[in-house]
Amino acid sequence: MESVFTNYELLCLAVTAITAPFLSFIFSLIFKKLAATFGIVSITVSLVFSAVLFFSVWQKQTFHFAFSWIKLGNVNINIGILLNNLSVLMLVLVSFIALLVHIYSVEYIRKEALKYRYFSYLSLFCFAMLCVVIADNLFLLYAFWELVGFASYLLIGFWFTKKKAVHANKKAFIMNRVGDVGFLIGLMILLSQFHTLDIETLFGAKGIINSSFVQNGLWVTPFATMPDYWLSIAGFCFLIGACGKSAQFPLHSWLPDAMQGPTAVSSLIHAATMVAAGVFLLLRVSPLFNDLVLTTMASIGLLTAFMAATIALTQNDIKKVLAFSTISQLGFMVLAVGVKDNAAAIFHLSTHAFFKCLLFLAAGMVIHQLHHVKEHTQSKFDEQDMRNMGGLSKLLPVTTVVFIIAALALSGLPFTSGYLSKDAILISVFEWAGERGGIYWLFPIVISITSWLTAFYIFRVIFKTFFGEFKLPSLINRKLEDLHLHDANLWMKIPAVVLAVFCFGFFFAVNPFNLESSWLHHAFNVKPHSESLLHLFVPIYINVLSLILIVSAYLIYVKNKVVFTNHKSWYYQFSYQQWYFNVLYDKKLVKLILWKAKISFWFDTQIIDGAVHLSAKATLVFSKIIDWIDRHIIDGFVNGLAGLVSRMNVWFRSMQSGKLQHYFVWMLLIFLSFMIYKVII
Amino acid sequence: MGLLSVLIFLPLAFGAVILMLPKSLNKWYKYISLAVCVAQLAIASYMYCHFKTGDAFAGVNQLSQYQWLENLKWIRLDVGQFGTLQIDYLLGVDGFSIGLIWLSALVMLVATLSSWEIKTNLKGYFALFLLLNASVVGVFCSLDLFLFYIFYELMLLPLYFLIGMWGGVRREYASIKFFLYTLFGSVFMLLVIAGLYLSVIDPNTGNHTFNMVYAMNPANYAEGSIFNSLSNIQIFGFPARTVGFLVVFVAFAIKVPVFPFHTWLPDAHVEAPTPISLILAGILLKVGGYGIIRIACGIFPEAAISLSFWMGLLGIISIIYGAMCALAQRDLKRLVAYSSVSHMGFVLLGIASLTSEGLNGAMMQMISHGFLSVMLFFIVGVIYTRVHDRDIYNFRGLANHMPVFTGFVMIAFFASLGLPGFSAFIAEAFTLIGAFSSETLNGFIPRWMAMVGALGILLGAGYLLWTLQRMFFGKLRLKKEEWKLALTDVNAREVIVMVPLAAMALVLGVMPSIAFDVMSSSVNQFLLMFK
Amino acid sequence: MIPLQHFLLIGAILFSLGLFAIITRKNAIQILMGIELMLNASILNMVAFGKYDKIDNTGQIFGLFIIILAAAAVAVALVIIMNLYKRAQTIDPNQTKSLRG
Repeated sequence: MESVFTNYELLCLAVTAITAPFLSFIFSLIFKKLAATFGIVSITVSLVFSAVLFFSVWQKQTFHFAFSWIKLGNVNINIGILLNNLSVLMLVLVSFIALLVHIYSVEYIRKEALKYRYFSYLSLFCFAMLCVVIADNLFLLYAFWELVGFASYLLIGFWFTKKKAVHANKKAFIMNRVGDVGFLIGLMILLSQFHTLDIETLFGAKGIINSSFVQNGLWVTPFATMPDYWLSIAGFCFLIGACGKSAQFPLHSWLPDAMQGPTAVSSLIHAATMVAAGVFLLLRVSPLFNDLVLTTMASIGLLTAFMAATIALTQNDIKKVLAFSTISQLGFMVLAVGVKDNAAAIFHLSTHAFFKCLLFLAAGMVIHQLHHVKEHTQSKFDEQDMRNMGGLSKLLPVTTVVFIIAALALSGLPFTSGYLSKDAILISVFEWAGERGGIYWLFPIVISITSWLTAFYIFRVIFKTFFGEFKLPSLINRKLEDLHLHDANLWMKIPAVVLAVFCFGFFFAVNPFNLESSWLHHAFNVKPHSESLLHLFVPIYINVLSLILIVSAYLIYVKNKVVFTNHKSWYYQFSYQQWYFNVLYDKKLVKLILWKAKISFWFDTQIIDGAVHLSAKATLVFSKIIDWIDRHIIDGFVNGLAGLVSRMNVWFRSMQSGKLQHYFVWMLLIFLSFMIYKVII
Repeated sequence: MGLLSVLIFLPLAFGAVILMLPKSLNKWYKYISLAVCVAQLAIASYMYCHFKTGDAFAGVNQLSQYQWLENLKWIRLDVGQFGTLQIDYLLGVDGFSIGLIWLSALVMLVATLSSWEIKTNLKGYFALFLLLNASVVGVFCSLDLFLFYIFYELMLLPLYFLIGMWGGVRREYASIKFFLYTLFGSVFMLLVIAGLYLSVIDPNTGNHTFNMVYAMNPANYAEGSIFNSLSNIQIFGFPARTVGFLVVFVAFAIKVPVFPFHTWLPDAHVEAPTPISLILAGILLKVGGYGIIRIACGIFPEAAISLSFWMGLLGIISIIYGAMCALAQRDLKRLVAYSSVSHMGFVLLGIASLTSEGLNGAMMQMISHGFLSVMLFFIVGVIYTRVHDRDIYNFRGLANHMPVFTGFVMIAFFASLGLPGFSAFIAEAFTLIGAFSSETLNGFIPRWMAMVGALGILLGAGYLLWTLQRMFFGKLRLKKEEWKLALTDVNAREVIVMVPLAAMALVLGVMPSIAFDVMSSSVNQFLLMFK
Repeated sequence: MIPLQHFLLIGAILFSLGLFAIITRKNAIQILMGIELMLNASILNMVAFGKYDKIDNTGQIFGLFIIILAAAAVAVALVIIMNLYKRAQTIDPNQTKSLRG
């Protein structure tokens, strides 16, 4: 099917879609008062153009445009745009969610003095993220990938006078950097093997990755040859890169800390878009991975999903729970890529973007309202702590409703988008384990447990926040009426409601119970349609148990019928302390590196400089010795000779006493000594 | 008189003028100096814009391909049966030097602007400053080893006095350390230069010559001479050419500086006044890299190949070690100084790879580091001139207090930790790509070196972000209350200094081909010597 | 016949006495006498050894020479002593230092 646009027009559309946020970034810094307007207008432009691109590219054609940027030796790096199904999907997704978050932010940070910076940074982020999505080669992707990290750094540290925030953004950037180093090394391997980083040329339908093979312990490509372990290393490097961005084990601990940023930012960057970039990268380079890397990837995804879900069970900070839930869901996606079901990963990425963004926005509304209460009553409490909340459903009805919708989607209950995408992943994992058998059955078991835990922890949040008794008034000794607690205004409500609509399964599939009817999943699915019992069995058993767990959460947290946690027990603490990763990283790893740094510096000042000083001192000492020798030995000899002569002179003079008889005695002595000498010899 | 001579003698002439002017005009010295630097930058820009690129203008070992060539017979001494002593006044530029000449013109201008803070003995300061300026430009464009050596040594003299007289508390120590360190290398280099003179023959006149372009061609070596690769002369049991390479390499490695020859750098930087720090970081270190490429590797290519592993090893040690040391600092200037060691390690790694990407990356890194380290040192200077303190722990939360300044700090820090969009990113990425592909292309350095080098990028983020967080973010808290008044935001002059530096780093980061176009054909020509 | 040893013994004794006088006496005349004693001791030796040279009689001739020379030397020495006395009012050689170098 031919597109209605020529290639040139497509190029213009794409360029406009990505440059609009960039212009907004610049102009927001110059015209500070219009920052919010610039931000919203630019992202709307992006959204409209992205939508046009989506409809002209989706399932129709792949559009690739590039012109040479750097050409050196056998490296030729382009600046280019690659529009295929994945890019245009992400393009629309990112710009759509970004637009909603922009609108939401208008209200959320209305009172900030440095509001213009916020919108400027947000525009920078949108620019970088859109570029990541449509970059046609990995080098460019890497560049914007880092830029995304930088924008995230700026936004996490938006309240830069808050000590925790600046710690968090440093941590986020550095942990991302760890991933980036992996990504960079992966780039180097690909570049030296294939002499190109163009995604389409490498991994496209006729990609040259297919013409490379492993033989006799060597990885052979049309251009070069390396030992075969480099193929695995390349895969692992990209995996590390993705782990950094997508907060997978063991580089996950920056994401919960990143919640120090404004909640709108958390919603856009640390839930819906940027963290998905890691998964996006894995999808882009997925033909590269060999079996070893894929299995590792699946294990990492599984471990992360499970770990984060267990941690989310006990956190009291509402944003922390959501953060770990994000990590857990990203683990699902990585697992999906690991079991070679890219379609499920993309599908879950898209649905997750909507409901997780919504969860954060709704949580932000709660926090925002409580923050007002805090300012209004001049009292001190943590507006993110769920222990201060409860019973908010009567005060914030809209917030409650949208939150519950999103939570249902997250738990993967029927009629929601999460139902479709999560089941897609679960079914793939079951099939994958079924093919392999043995220990691999651990994967579906653990991932099912994780699904149930997901339902439990998110409803724990709901019950603690929106139901039961509102604890804040008694905590700060105010009456409920004094708090003036009510739903947020339309700036915040509209984006939330729009997102809530997209949490329903109807939007993604005609029949919300049938994965096969999903247009999105269908577009990427390469596997033949299987009519196994799994499609029936998996959703049922997952959902039934989830419902049971939700009810039990209700009993525990609202009715207080069951007391199931002992806060001192080791498993509670293990979960509450986030598996002690922060302790390990901050206390041990950072200390170790700093210690090494001190050692290096000590080495520098003591050993190397010491050696320099020592050589200087040795030279000095040597010169002193020389000086001494000069003074005492050489000069001493000369002086001694002169002294001897003058001494002898005195002595001989004493012989010439002028006394006649002395002369006689001398004569006698000399004569005698001569005679004695003669006699002896 | 060609443009290059103008570039060299303009500062010399005006330095003399400053010396002759009466002391009552000492307000004008800096303006004279500024005018000279502006003129130099204009000339250098003109040259850069009119620099012809392409394989026909590659230069390196083809004397005729050099541009703005000036060749005057300087010394012709008939020494009887030994022939004629031939020293030429030979200047010219190719892709390796033109970028560095432009860089030094810019850095000199910036340094002049930052010399506003110098208050004592202005006449001596600016005269020495202009002498330094002349010798630096001379080093980059002289093609005669003798001339090169003269300029090279001439650089030391003004620097010694500039650090020793206008420096900080331990300035005598630092200046003597710096002087001796460099002299240690260059004295032995003189022996090699003499050896080269005795070996190389000018194919046109048949005399022995100091011409370094002729020295790059093995055919010009006299039969049986010490550095002729066929004569297999041994020095201390090593081939003479290897020893020659080593000596020259060490001389320049001290300049770069490469671990373990780097300890003069932190001291010299910490004690030097800000403008001299700028020149040290911005230009002097590049002389080292330039010398390693052109003289050490260019004249002794086969020795460079055989020792490339060790060069690469020193490179990555410098990268990691410098970053580690920077991580342990609490003196901001010392931190920046060690970060220079780390960043210049990439240059050595790129050179050691002897690939097109690596060498281009190394050249790019030199130019990029020229802009960024100058900016970093200037930033330190801004704080230091205001409160005479540089201890990171004594400051906190400057972001709200000095917002514009913090903006520049962010740009400089993120640019030098390799944020895409800035030149350092391109430079480091290409250096690493070159280092990585070396094993496949020519097998000179192993792949793991590139991987270790990539860790340097990570550590760079560590110390720079820590500083940023510690000094600029958080709530305002200073060691002394009166600092609050002293720490005013940047003034117009300081903005004028920093804007072009940041702009250049950005331009080169977005359009690296501006620099790559000029040097890539020279790099290719250079690499032909290693085939 | 008197054996040679006796002559030599007497000569040695005379020589030693003369030497002793030269070294210890404080009077220039006595020193001169000591010198004469030593000269006579040597003449005695000469004459005694002359017995073994009966053809040329070298010993005797030398003895005569020495006597003559001694007489001349004594004359000169006495004159010196008298002049010394005139100049220094003493003939104790230890009192004068004009020979000092």
